[in-house]
Amino acid sequence: MTFPKLEIVNLRKLFGNESFVALDGVDFAVEAGETVALLGPSGCGKSTTLNIIVGLEQPTSGDIRIDGRSVIGIPPGKRNVGLVFQDYAVFTHMTVFENLAFGLIIRGRAKAEIARAVHDVAELLGMQNSLKLSAAELGGSELQRVAIGRTLVTKPAILLLDEPLSNLEASARIAMRRELRRLQSEIGLTIIYVTHDQVEALCLADRIAVMNAGKLQQIERTSVICKKPDHVFVAGFMGSPPMNLLRGEIIGDGTSAGFRRDGLIIRLPSSEAFATNYVGQPIILGLRPESLTLAAANEATICGKVAVVEPRGPEAVVTVEAGTVSLKAVVPTAERPQEGADIGLLADPSSFVFFSGETGRRLAS
Amino acid sequence: MKPLRIDSMLAPAALEVRGLCKAFGEKAALCDLGFAIPEGSLTVLLGSAGAGKTTTLRLIAGVERPNAGRVLMCGRDVTELEPKDRDIAMIFDNLALYPNKTGFSNIASSLTIRGTPKAEIEQRVAEVSSTLRIAHVLNRLPKTMSGGERQRVALGRALIRKPGLFLLDEPLSGLDAMLRIELRAELKRLQRDIGATFLLATPDFAEAMAVADTVVMLRDGRVVQIATAQSLYDDPADREVARFVGAPEINLLKAFYEPGILGSIRVAGATITGLKKLRNALPKAGGPFEIGIRPEHLKLSQPEGAPIKAKVFDIEPLGLKSMVTVINEESELRMIVDTDAAGRYVSGDAVGLELVDSGLLAFDAASGVRLG
Repeated sequence: MTFPKLEIVNLRKLFGNESFVALDGVDFAVEAGETVALLGPSGCGKSTTLNIIVGLEQPTSGDIRIDGRSVIGIPPGKRNVGLVFQDYAVFTHMTVFENLAFGLIIRGRAKAEIARAVHDVAELLGMQNSLKLSAAELGGSELQRVAIGRTLVTKPAILLLDEPLSNLEASARIAMRRELRRLQSEIGLTIIYVTHDQVEALCLADRIAVMNAGKLQQIERTSVICKKPDHVFVAGFMGSPPMNLLRGEIIGDGTSAGFRRDGLIIRLPSSEAFATNYVGQPIILGLRPESLTLAAANEATICGKVAVVEPRGPEAVVTVEAGTVSLKAVVPTAERPQEGADIGLLADPSSFVFFSGETGRRLAS
Repeated sequence: MKPLRIDSMLAPAALEVRGLCKAFGEKAALCDLGFAIPEGSLTVLLGSAGAGKTTTLRLIAGVERPNAGRVLMCGRDVTELEPKDRDIAMIFDNLALYPNKTGFSNIASSLTIRGTPKAEIEQRVAEVSSTLRIAHVLNRLPKTMSGGERQRVALGRALIRKPGLFLLDEPLSGLDAMLRIELRAELKRLQRDIGATFLLATPDFAEAMAVADTVVMLRDGRVVQIATAQSLYDDPADREVARFVGAPEINLLKAFYEPGILGSIRVAGATITGLKKLRNALPKAGGPFEIGIRPEHLKLSQPEGAPIKAKVFDIEPLGLKSMVTVINEESELRMIVDTDAAGRYVSGDAVGLELVDSGLLAFDAASGVRLG
């Protein structure tokens, strides 16, 4: 029988006299060679999950299995799990070589073996010529490279990365992102990557696990999660700007249906047969900002006033206010309207996503 | 290209700095810095770490003194005034609030220190909190407030003194990505609603683009360009500005002017003809120069008949869009493609590339100065 590389089984963690639930039944598995990103806002439980996997915290209940065997009770150093933090945790009074060798020296490995392992890792990271430099001379992205190398040199079965790029400047972050992707493919590591930056998650992970308030909201392949969020929280989290979410109700008479919120009514295509099943029920309609286009008033789905235009270079994010509704649309820079202008937005019905107003779950359509 | 000069306007600017110089020991931090910001506007000081943003704010606030130059507020020279007499409020990173004080006490703190009568304090706090819509957090401690509420309390604390100018030094830098995006939109809206004058320093061009009426781009202690955020992107003063603004970074390629044929260049192993936008700039360039192509100004096409031929090197998914890197013998190019379209390619596929003429920029290869 084959096991997933890593299984997180119904993990619960309570803090502070059991008054605070940090993790509330988190459950997922990671296959060998796979990268899973844990994504969520501050305090959602992603770092706690990581700390339990590595063994720095004990779960209140639940299990961590590596290759099918529980590692609860095995001390952190013996789990064969490497952890890299956001703060580089590099010894600045040592050279790059000494830093890279550190994990092997404390494990009492032979000198020749250490030298070989350090040179292999240095080559992998493109640091062969920096081995003699003092770590104090390195910049942020090189420090983080050393920190990653220090972990890789011990050949961990699983690599855990806790916001490894968030202390880097934007350009260094993009370069390191690519570096990490190269490492993934060259050495086929199993990686869990904690981040609050969805762009990092999207470009590094095979699957993304979105967490909120100690719960796993959805774990899904990267290519799917933006388009098919299962839960209204995921919809409101993924994308920049994230999906517009309008709380309202479905109205209809059996032949045609619409979505209503206060004075706003959006007609639903008659093919949305499911809509008739939800007549009178609270619904959240999801409209992706990229699916809204500018339109003349007589063709528009929604008419309103432009509150804010945020240029982004190739495109602009336009915030349109219509009654109690505020919508964001992404439009090409050349088409962007003036702030204060009255405009119409056309919504493509095929891109509508519906969530239950009660549970927040996506409704099948 | 001429930088936009606001100081020629008739009404005195809310803030004007002229010829500011500041050195720390041997090291020059600012050199002949000059710009002006109109009342009620949001101006961003943009630059990487060490460009001189914080030093500029500190000189304006009066906590440092310049070696040369003047600071004027509404036409009045305040260079010799103490910070407290300058009518300026400063907000630092992480929106530092007193953690042990309620929203009310945080907002009232500057008035309390000055011994303002209690009734007046209460009235002013009530006014400010209704403008900022934070009446509901006045009795709460900062740790129980949301990020947006904390930001508004920090602003309220500054606003209550009715300062003529707000200085914000990377106010959103300590926050996580989602919150930062949410709060910067709110910050802009508040600034507009209350009609205050903001000068905000950040190294994040995306933040600058989202909030700025005008951007003052700093590099090595000098003003490089003053422009709206979008024109900084479309019309950068030089190569470094073009690289700093925009993600993924602009593609920069060695190019050669083809003598004899107007608007024709050699770039990325191909001859491109009929370039309308660069036609007038090119003859001035003479020899080799650099061409800048934004990732969205490249389109994938069939290799047959396409001006530039290349191979797919890497596809990096970014959600609905993907960044595709293509290479040929001469160059490496990044482009932004819909993820659905990018999914039709794998590494190693032969592709053709087309350029969107209107988006091309040309730079002097040595100095980086804009040619066209």
